[in-house]
Amino acid sequence: MSLIVSSYQRFQQRRGWLILLLLLLLAFAGWNLSQLKVEESITAMLPDGTSQVAHDFKLLQQAPFARQIVINLTATGSDISSDQLLAATDVLQKKLPADLFLNVLNGPGKMANGALFQQLGDYLPVLLDADDLQHIDKKLTAEEIDRRLANDFAQLIQPQGMALKGQIRRDPLQLETLALKKLAYLNPIPDVRLKNGHFLSRNGKNSLILADTLIPMTDSVGARKLLTAFENARQGLPDGITADLISGHPYTLANADTIQADMKLVLLVSGLGILLLFLVFLRSLRALVVYLLPLFSMVAALVAAQLWFGTLSGITVGFGAVLLGITIDFGLHVYFALRYGRSQLGREQLLKTVSRPVLFGGLTTLAAFGVLLTSALPGQRQLAVFAIAGILAALALALFYLPHFIGTGKNPEVSSRLLLRRHIYDRNPALRIMVLSVWLIVVIFSAVQAQSLSINAELRQLSYLPAKLQQAEQHLGEVWGQMRSRALIFASAETLEGALQANDVVWQQLQKEHVPQGVVSLAPLLPSQQTQRQRITGWEDFWETRQATVRDLIRVSGEKYHFSANAFDPFWDRLNRTPTLITSARVKNWGLDRALDSLLLKTDHGYQILTLIPDDPRLVGALDTDFSSHPEISLVSQRRFSQQLSHEIGVDFSRFISYAGVAVVFLLLLLFRRLREVLLALLPVLTGLLVMFGGMGWLGLEMNLFNVVASILIIGLGVDYGIFMVCHGQQEEDLASSRAILISGLTTLVGFGALVLAKHPALHSIGLTVLLGISTAVPTAILVIPAFRPKRH
Amino acid sequence: MDCLIFLLKDNIGRTMKCFLLTCLFFMIPVLGSADELSNLLGELKTAAATTETLSSPFVQEKYLDIFDEKLLSQGQFVYRKPDQLRWELLSPVASGFILQGDKGERWNSLSHERESFSVKNDPVMGMIARQLLAWAQVDLDWLQQRYRMELVTSEPVILKLYPLDPGEAGFIHHLQVRFSPDNSHVTEVLMVEQGGDSTLIRFTAVKINATLPPNAFQVPNF
Repeated sequence: MSLIVSSYQRFQQRRGWLILLLLLLLAFAGWNLSQLKVEESITAMLPDGTSQVAHDFKLLQQAPFARQIVINLTATGSDISSDQLLAATDVLQKKLPADLFLNVLNGPGKMANGALFQQLGDYLPVLLDADDLQHIDKKLTAEEIDRRLANDFAQLIQPQGMALKGQIRRDPLQLETLALKKLAYLNPIPDVRLKNGHFLSRNGKNSLILADTLIPMTDSVGARKLLTAFENARQGLPDGITADLISGHPYTLANADTIQADMKLVLLVSGLGILLLFLVFLRSLRALVVYLLPLFSMVAALVAAQLWFGTLSGITVGFGAVLLGITIDFGLHVYFALRYGRSQLGREQLLKTVSRPVLFGGLTTLAAFGVLLTSALPGQRQLAVFAIAGILAALALALFYLPHFIGTGKNPEVSSRLLLRRHIYDRNPALRIMVLSVWLIVVIFSAVQAQSLSINAELRQLSYLPAKLQQAEQHLGEVWGQMRSRALIFASAETLEGALQANDVVWQQLQKEHVPQGVVSLAPLLPSQQTQRQRITGWEDFWETRQATVRDLIRVSGEKYHFSANAFDPFWDRLNRTPTLITSARVKNWGLDRALDSLLLKTDHGYQILTLIPDDPRLVGALDTDFSSHPEISLVSQRRFSQQLSHEIGVDFSRFISYAGVAVVFLLLLLFRRLREVLLALLPVLTGLLVMFGGMGWLGLEMNLFNVVASILIIGLGVDYGIFMVCHGQQEEDLASSRAILISGLTTLVGFGALVLAKHPALHSIGLTVLLGISTAVPTAILVIPAFRPKRH
Repeated sequence: MDCLIFLLKDNIGRTMKCFLLTCLFFMIPVLGSADELSNLLGELKTAAATTETLSSPFVQEKYLDIFDEKLLSQGQFVYRKPDQLRWELLSPVASGFILQGDKGERWNSLSHERESFSVKNDPVMGMIARQLLAWAQVDLDWLQQRYRMELVTSEPVILKLYPLDPGEAGFIHHLQVRFSPDNSHVTEVLMVEQGGDSTLIRFTAVKINATLPPNAFQVPNF
């Protein structure tokens, strides 16, 4: 404390040097900030390193459609035919600018490529598994073969027979149907049919356009450009046909626009509120210096965090700016102590006395933020460095700079309101009892309500989700199936063959689960070479014992239906040909390259093969158990990811609260050395947090990432209030602490509590947290602490 | 994502393959013909314009390599303007289909199968229906888009048609169509395939604009 006083005395006549130094520091900061790189990504708020959540998040990003643009056209008019809808689809597709919409598809493409159907039957030996052979076996009876050839005969004499003739000769028993069924597992859009090469919904009322884009999902400027282009293209649609674009871009834009609108409203309200506070309580131009303190500390924090991390998360910067509102507290206490405080030993003594609670308040806040350094979330670790730097800068400014620019109050002898209240408590003990009773009721009520508070880590809940976009996405799911929200299974290996073998294991487990509807897998069409060789052996064994019998049966039925002796030679030739293996190149050659590319991923460490399954908790749970002994297989479920994230955030928050609690209690013990004072100092923060939890539970709200981070503000300010009020009660000098706390609390409430008016859930969460926490921490400090322990005289 | 797989969920099998091999006959350039052919086609069109209904027994002779003998079938063809059809084989296997607009039903007494179809969902049937309607209506505009026509004789009118679409040309070498003396309807169609197989359909006792029985477009009992 004496260092602060001696520094004050030394620079009292040399303020110019201080201003010069500050300007130099600001110039350095300005140069640094011109290099600042801010990253707009939610990943900063997800656990990193080797955690399961981080691992799952990376894998989830690789889901097909996760980064694709989906345009869903709907025929709303009852008189719109599917032909008209498809014509409109073509028109819309042509109007989409090629520089923004890449690889645009309105259908599967390459429909005329007959190689697949011509050749697939040649690969029956490697495609058919034991179950398929069992199925064939049942079809090789005399009755079944006769029925099949009768059908072939009936088809051949019909007009369509001409087109089917070659196929019937190659496959009179329709064995290829089993191979063709394998292709159905490559369909990523569950409820689709094709018409004229277009994707068409089952009811014929919806069509689909898929596209890629180079514009990142988080780029709001690019998103606006993209959506404007889509809107212009959509204008050309005929009446009765609408189109919705579904991707991350509309959400990004809606969030950017909402935040912009929110900030206008919030800045207006908080600006007016702060002006009102200024006019009512401060009424001095010198008080403006106090309001500049958070600004300077934020600049210092930005520079420090940038030097430490290089690139900063946008979320860190945004939150950090909010959290550094806390630093106004230090300035206000110094301002009120020096301007309105009373001490017989003069201004230096006032500065010395106020330095103690300011320093300890700062230290407790530093401890709270320091705990965040252990967080699993990189964004929170950045936030810790950011906040620590900002608080240190604010402390330095409040204690070494501010005293020189505050001046002396006009009526230092004016008694503080606290003095008046203390007298009221002394005179009227009933009032004291009433205050304590009300406080107790609020605490008990909040404690009960806090039981029902839960954590929601659903990432989407952190964003503003316009009803129209949600409806469009829901409609997409209803019409086309859940193409964008399936669980993913990754089979990984260094070699392609290794990955295919792991993928075969995945498929075998899915078969045990009776291959639920909606599964997309490469395994049925492209098994590993090892599996293919095993199947060839099975195929050859199967026919070795049956071929002669089947030949006889076909001959007998064939004669009955006038088939010539060589009618089915192509079938026998194929059956006795040396089987060849299917390769990824062959699959591509069949025109299935897009399907292959979306399911077979080349990574830095080798290959990953993706399987999509319905995100059903029972199925995911069962498969998870099955795959537990297969490290090469990872299962990622969006539903489970949210649960894991909730758990991680919960663990993180509990750790943060307990570590911060221990650190704060330790510092308070160091400061006050008496348990009673420590408990009193903790009253505001505990009450504030409890009311925040209880209030949210009572309102049916869930704790999200933003509440967790914003609650640091409550802890930092609440502890400061406690320290100041307890110090105030102990000290001879009157530091006008209750007035400082009131102004600090009100400033925080109008500055950040105004965020409760925001539509954006993140801003609203911060506002609500601050509103609930601070609005109870302040009266607890000013009214409840003196009620427990009046100031000594 | 690619292709045919999407269809397979609904329609696995030959239908699809057949579709690939027979469909997509669109956007074919129209070839010019001699003045005589042009005049003749105009006459055929005028004569067919008055046709409201058409019914005729037919005999079909198939010479297919896959069968060890010529295959004779008999059947009945019925048409009502604008888009109702009945194509029915009575022997050797009672089978066929009816079409009313976009919807249809087909049957096969041998396998005792009877199923509905839509030309929207079943491209093969859609294509066959379109072909039959074109011949019944003598829709020369449509036919001219799809075939290069040669006049073989003018009395009776016999046209030889060569498919313009490469897909269709992969199957069919040519069609030969013979008209009635008054040019009001087709009496004979010969389809010659690339491999030498052929199908001859003779329409006998053609009735034009006769009253059709009420069950003309209903599936028979079998």
